[in-house]
Amino acid sequence: MSKTTVHHAGNRLFLAAVVLACVWVLVPIYLLLINALSAPAEVTGFPKWFWPSFDLASIRFFLGFKGVTAALWSSVQVAVLTMVMAIGTGAPAGYALARFDFPGKQVFRFLVVMTRAFPLPLLALPLAVLFIRVGLDDTVLGLALVHTTLALPFAVLITYSLFSGIPYELEEAALTLGCNRVQAFFKVVMPLAAPGIAASAVFAFVVSWNEVFAAAVLTIEHRTLTAFLLQSLDVSPLPLKFAGGAALVVPALVFIFAVRKYLFAMWGIANR
Amino acid sequence: MTFDHIRSAALAAAVLTMAGPALAEPLFWSTQAKPVEETQRMREQVMAGFPGGVDYQPSDEGPWITRIQAEAQAGSGTIAVLGGLHGDLSSLGAMLVDLSSIDTSAVGAAMLELGQLGTGEQKYIPWMQATYLMVANKKALPYLPAGADLNALTYDQMIAWTKALAEGTGGPKFGFPAGPKGLKHRFFQGFLLPAYTGSTVTEFRSAEAEGAWNVFKELWKYTNPASTGYGFMQEQLLTDEVWVAFDHVARIADAFNQRPDDFVAFPAPAGPKGRAFMPVLAGIAVPTTAPDQAQSLALIEYMLRPETQIATLRATNFFPVIATEIPADMPPSVRASAAAIAAMTGAPDALPALLPMGLGDKGGQFSQIYTDTFERIVLNGQPVRAVLDEEAAVLRALMVEANAPCWAPDLASDGPCPVK
Repeated sequence: MSKTTVHHAGNRLFLAAVVLACVWVLVPIYLLLINALSAPAEVTGFPKWFWPSFDLASIRFFLGFKGVTAALWSSVQVAVLTMVMAIGTGAPAGYALARFDFPGKQVFRFLVVMTRAFPLPLLALPLAVLFIRVGLDDTVLGLALVHTTLALPFAVLITYSLFSGIPYELEEAALTLGCNRVQAFFKVVMPLAAPGIAASAVFAFVVSWNEVFAAAVLTIEHRTLTAFLLQSLDVSPLPLKFAGGAALVVPALVFIFAVRKYLFAMWGIANR
Repeated sequence: MTFDHIRSAALAAAVLTMAGPALAEPLFWSTQAKPVEETQRMREQVMAGFPGGVDYQPSDEGPWITRIQAEAQAGSGTIAVLGGLHGDLSSLGAMLVDLSSIDTSAVGAAMLELGQLGTGEQKYIPWMQATYLMVANKKALPYLPAGADLNALTYDQMIAWTKALAEGTGGPKFGFPAGPKGLKHRFFQGFLLPAYTGSTVTEFRSAEAEGAWNVFKELWKYTNPASTGYGFMQEQLLTDEVWVAFDHVARIADAFNQRPDDFVAFPAPAGPKGRAFMPVLAGIAVPTTAPDQAQSLALIEYMLRPETQIATLRATNFFPVIATEIPADMPPSVRASAAAIAAMTGAPDALPALLPMGLGDKGGQFSQIYTDTFERIVLNGQPVRAVLDEEAAVLRALMVEANAPCWAPDLASDGPCPVK
């Protein structure tokens, strides 16, 4: 077997893997969308057609369902706020972990991950009591604080590895050329780390977008879309499950698509 | 995204959060009518008639109860009225106000007693009721055993029927809601065991109970094995995955409403002790932390009005708790289930098995015993006798711990209900 045949076979294998991975992701989304756009009888009927009939009854039901738009708006607000707070506190912590040796560093890293060790149903009751007492109950800010706690471990650990990957010598060089520490960070480190930070921000956004239990307990008028729909959808008839699933997936897909290039940064491509 | 973008997003988000909650309408916090279409109908057809409107919010049981406990502990709340099943409300006793001042003369005494939760006070007011039924695709009827009457089937005939279906169609066609969201435990508590033993608790490990589980093992042979994933049988009925099914009336409604001519509803089968069936009761209550008690009481009175009760039936397929004329123009699901319920409750061998009473917050553990027994015997194939002996010990300890006396069909007891 010549070297080129091996090379070709390898290419074909790679191509097949790529196609398989795409199909793996796209087919469920495709089925979700065609079922959302089909009449109820077609959803439960057999055989299936692979082209929707564009019956908009199920989708129209959702657009008319009281509270959907408000819940979508709440979701966006909470997720954006979570993103900002998680990065605002997580990135400095990640930087400190990457650059400094301080007493209790190991304990700190451990404690950060510990926030994910307690199931939310356990934490939700004392949190809700506290929130009612201090007036944070049923507010976007209150829920965003909880989601920030959930997203923080990821923000800290992702930015920690991000800053670790940027040589300290670059900062030292900036310091010798007259920058102070803050300037060195913003002029040298930040531009290198920005795509990765944005990627971990996207991660925080998704953590908040997908969280149900805390949102269902801590908010009533400001329910997020996920809390609002997910509890109802799993007990709803099949056609509405598809339509609701599409309503949950499409905004997240649009968002991910908009920020896709930053996502690649999370896998280290941007640092090269 | 640059740092400036992030900063302006933060600013925008901070401005957005300034808008606080606006609570004018009373908040109806409920575990019922959760499917989106039912929620929509509750809001538009049932609650719209209450002066000033109602904020009807359905929720899963977990968040529902956590929120109530949080408001009770914090000592202030936003929830005006609670709606839930008997089992949901029975653990809340101390957090509910006494509703004796509500005129409940139209509500049956037995249901009202359930609403007292074993205290002297009226902790909840019955809201709506339902039960479980059998449904068959009309395609399955030709396979009925000779001489069988659909409205008076026995468990033996059920097995013969499902066997004929499995053999005649090439695959098992009976469906049973044994999934995580399915209501399988109610079938064992209120249908299968009472039909064979005349009891839910006392005769749990009797020879008759052993026989009942063996009957179910036989039935399971002709049951679609995917049943361990089923939650709402209307789905599998509509896709023709199963042709015969058992489920809650609200969970089969969609089958009738989408294809009214294709399905029939009929009573649960009978065993040697009778045609056992379990009613379902939902209640409404007022938490001690309700912001405006007078408004909450007014809403409860509104829910009990005949026209509201009829509207609730249309919206949810749960039947009124007061004696009232049901109009003819009901959805197909209501017409089908009303006839089958009448046939079941009016059958000469009818044997009502009531909901667990006096278990308080142990209702979930009580149901878990029946679910565990099912999984061990039927799914894992463990020996019936040994499993019943072990689970009976758990059940006995639970009854003693809850200090719950027997309820129908078990004979009344002094002290905790005994497990023989």
